[in-house]
Amino acid sequence: MQLFWLSVGFGLVTASVLAISAVGLSLQFGITNYINFAFGDFMALGAFFAYVLNNQVLHLDIWVALVIGSVALGVFAVILNRLILAPFARKFSKSHYVLIVTFGLSLILLNLQYSIWGAQVRFFKMPISAALHIGPLLLTRNQLIVMGIAVVLMLAVHTMLKTTRLGKSMRAMSDNPTLAMTSGIDTKRITTITWFLSGSLAGVSGTVLGISEGNLTPASGELFLFVIFAAVIVGGVGSIYGAMAGAVLIGLATEISAAFINPSYKLDIAFVILILALLIRPSGLLSRAGTT
Amino acid sequence: MSLRCEGITKAFQGVHAVNGASFDVPDDRITALIGPNGAGKTTVVNILSGAMTCDSGREFIGETEVTNWPSHKIARRGLMRTFQLSRELGGLTVLENMLVAPAHQAGDSLVNLLFRPALVREQEREHAERALELLETYGLYGQRDLRARELSGGQKKLLEIARAVMASPKILLLDEPMAGVNPALIERIGGYILELKQRGVTVLMIEHNLNVVEQICDYVIVLAEGRTLATGRLSELRENADVVKAYLGEVIDAGAPR
Amino acid sequence: MVYYVFTLVFFLFDYFILAMGLNIQYGEAGILNFAYIGFVAIGAYFTGVFSLPNGAGTGQHYILGLGLPFPVNLLLGGLAAMCFAWIVALIALRRLRTDYLAIVLISLSLVLYDFCNNYVSLFNGADGLYNVPEPFAKALGLSVNSFIPFFACVTAVVSLLMWFVMSRVMRAPMGRTFRAIRDDEVAAAALGKDVFRMQLKSMLIGSFYAGIGGGLLIQFGGSFNPTAWLPGETFVVFAVLIVGGAGNNIGMFVGALFVETLLIHLPAFLPEIPGHPGLIEYFDNAVVGIVLMLVLWFRPQGVVPERLRRAASFGVRERQDGDPATDAAGLAAVHAAAGLRGGQ
Repeated sequence: MQLFWLSVGFGLVTASVLAISAVGLSLQFGITNYINFAFGDFMALGAFFAYVLNNQVLHLDIWVALVIGSVALGVFAVILNRLILAPFARKFSKSHYVLIVTFGLSLILLNLQYSIWGAQVRFFKMPISAALHIGPLLLTRNQLIVMGIAVVLMLAVHTMLKTTRLGKSMRAMSDNPTLAMTSGIDTKRITTITWFLSGSLAGVSGTVLGISEGNLTPASGELFLFVIFAAVIVGGVGSIYGAMAGAVLIGLATEISAAFINPSYKLDIAFVILILALLIRPSGLLSRAGTT
Repeated sequence: MSLRCEGITKAFQGVHAVNGASFDVPDDRITALIGPNGAGKTTVVNILSGAMTCDSGREFIGETEVTNWPSHKIARRGLMRTFQLSRELGGLTVLENMLVAPAHQAGDSLVNLLFRPALVREQEREHAERALELLETYGLYGQRDLRARELSGGQKKLLEIARAVMASPKILLLDEPMAGVNPALIERIGGYILELKQRGVTVLMIEHNLNVVEQICDYVIVLAEGRTLATGRLSELRENADVVKAYLGEVIDAGAPR
Repeated sequence: MVYYVFTLVFFLFDYFILAMGLNIQYGEAGILNFAYIGFVAIGAYFTGVFSLPNGAGTGQHYILGLGLPFPVNLLLGGLAAMCFAWIVALIALRRLRTDYLAIVLISLSLVLYDFCNNYVSLFNGADGLYNVPEPFAKALGLSVNSFIPFFACVTAVVSLLMWFVMSRVMRAPMGRTFRAIRDDEVAAAALGKDVFRMQLKSMLIGSFYAGIGGGLLIQFGGSFNPTAWLPGETFVVFAVLIVGGAGNNIGMFVGALFVETLLIHLPAFLPEIPGHPGLIEYFDNAVVGIVLMLVLWFRPQGVVPERLRRAASFGVRERQDGDPATDAAGLAAVHAAAGLRGGQ
C-alpha cells in the first residue's frame, strides 16, 4: 500500500509536468490549427536556458532561473513563429506542409542543442530537499513546488480564458477564425501572445521535467512528447480542460503502473492508454463537438 | 432507378438541420429541391449521397435500403453527386479527373498491373476515348491536359458534372449546378441536364433559380425548416399558401428573371 | 577508397528504395507517415532474426533466429513490416485525420524505439543485432572488402526491380486513385473510391518497401541498433522525397543522391573536430532540416516535379479542339457513348 501511495505522489508530479505542457500545446493548437512537433524541443531548450542561468553563468536559484528561462523561451517562440511558422502557414493551405516544417524544426533545434551542449547528461544545481508526509503521500519540497506551479498556472490559464478579453478573443479565434477576424479581433496580436504563452509554458514544463527527473539532455523533451500527445488526445483535442484532465489521468496511470510492471516501460503505458482511448472513445474525454 | 427517403433527421450540437424529410424522387425525371436558406437542402443531399449519416430515417435506392451507407458504396450503387463548391481533384489533369470516375477498373489491382499490362493499357485507352468525347461535349477538350486547379470557376462546374456523368450514374444529385455561373453557361448546363433525362437518369437538383426550375424541372420538392413542406408541380405549389409563405412569398414575381 | 565510393552507392540505392516506399504513402496517397523509420527498423530487425542462427550461444538475445538464406530473409523482413503496417492502419488510419494521425504515428515511432531499446530479449536491446551473416559471402568466398561493392550492386539491382513495379503502379488507375484521395478524399469517395481500402493498400505497399530497405541495411552493415533509427531519421527520408520531388521516381533518385549521399554520408568521412565529438554529425542533421525548409519555401515541388500525364499518352485518336456540341443530337450521341441507359 505504501508503494501505491508513493506512486500516486509521483503520478501527481508527472501530472503536473504534463498539465503545464499539454495546456501549452493545446493553447497554441487551438489558435494556429496545427500541431507543433517541435514542442518537445522547445521544452528542452527552455530547460537549457534555465540550466545556463542556474549552473553555468549566473548561478541563480533554480526557481528564478526557471522563470527567466521560460520567459526567454516565450520570446524565442514568438520570433520563431514570425520568421518561420507563420509564413509557411500562410503560404500553404494544406496543413501537412507546416507539420513537416515543425518536424524539421524539431530536428534543427535538437541538433543545435546537441552542438552547443553535447549529449552528456546535465544536472540542475539545487538543494536536495527532505521528503514530507502529506496525508498518505510522501513528497519532497521540490516536488510540492512543482505541483504548486502547475496548480497556479492552471488557475491562471482558466481565469484568463474565462474572464479576460484576451481569453475570450482566444476562444473565439479557436472556435471560428474567420468570424473572429471579421469581428474586429486583432488575430495577429492574439497569435503572438498565444505563442508567447505556449513557449513559456514549454519552458516551464521542460525545466520542471528536468527537476523531477533529476537530469537533462537535449533529447529529454522529445522523448516526453508522445506522453503529452497522449494526454491531449485522451482528454480531447481542442479542449484546454480536456488537456488538464488527460494530464492527470495519464500522469497517475503511468506512475501507478510502474509499481506493477518494469519501470522502464512506464511512459509507454501512456501510449497504450492512447490506443485504448482511440478504440473506445475517439473523441476524447472532453472534446469540443465539431472537431475532426 | 428510384430514390426515396423516409423521416430523415439530423442534428448538429442540438440544432436540427433536418427534421423529418421524406420524399420520393420520381424515376427518369428532373426534380428540383427548393426551399429557403437553412432549410437543410444540402444536408439532405449529403445524407442521401452518404457523405453524412442521419440520426434517424431510412433511404432507398430502387428496392435496396441504403440507409447510412458510406458514400463510396452509394456511388457504386449508381448514385453520383456534384458539390456546391466544386471539388475538382486539383493536382490531377482534367482528363485524369474524368478517368477516376469509372468503377471497376482493371488497373486498380496490383496483380493486373504486373501480369496483364496489355489489358490495363487497353481499358485505359477505351476510358480515355470516352472521357475525351465527354470533355469535347462539355467544352473542356482544350483543357484536358491542364491541372484541374487551373480551371476557371465555370469550367470547374462543368468538370464536376462531366465527371459525374462519366461514371454512368442512374441517379444524379446536383447541388446548385448553376450557382455563380453566367447566363449563357446556365443555358448550356440546362441543356446537358435535359439530355441526361432523355438517357434515363433520375436527376435531383438543389436550385434557387426558379426560372431554371420552371424551364427544366418536372417536379418540385419544397423543404423548409428541415422538413418536407410540399411536393408537386411548380404551378400547383405557387397556389399553396404554406409554400408561398415559407419561400415563394419572398420573391415578388417568381416568373421574372433574377 | 573503393569501399568509400561503394558505401555511398549502397546508401544511394537503399534510400532510393526507402523514398519510393514513403512516396506511395505520402507523395501519392497523402498519408503523413511520421513513423516511417519504425517500419524500416522492423524490416531490418526481422531480416536480422531470420538470418541469424538460433540465439543461444551467440551472446545476443533475440527472438526467432531461423538462419534463412537471402533473399528469403529479406522478403520476410519486408512482409513483417507490411504486417505491422496492417495493424497500425486498422487502429489509427481508420479513425484519424492528418494532424492526429501524424501525432499517433510519431508517438508510435518513439514508443517502438523505447521498447526495442529496453526489451532486451526482443532484438538485443540497446546493443542491437550484430554479426548478421552477409548474403552470398560464404558461397562466393567474398572477403569483407569485396563484399561491399558486391552488395552495393545487389542493392542496385533490387532497387531497379522495385522501381519498375513502382512506376507501373504510379501510372496506372491505382496511382491515380491514390492521388485523387490525396487531393480530395470526399470527392474521391463520392466517385466510388473506398478511401480506407486504398489508403491501406498504399500503407502496405509503402511499408513493404520500407522493410526491404531496412533488411538491406542490416545485411550490408551486418548490424543494426537503435541509434540507427531515432525518430528523426524519418525526417531524412521526407527530405529525400521533398527535395528530390515527391510523386516522381526520378526525383526520388535525385533526392537520395543529394540528401543521403551528399549531405549525410559524405561528411561522415570527414575527420572529427577535436574536443567536439559528433559535432559534424549534429551540424549535418541540422543542415538537412534547413535545406528542406528552403526547398519547401522556394521550390516545393522539388528538383524534379511531378510529371503531367498527357492525353496523347493514352493512345487515343487525334481530335480537333471544336465548339461544344450543344445540339440535342450531338449530346445524345455523347451521352449514349458514355454508357447511360437508352432513352425514349
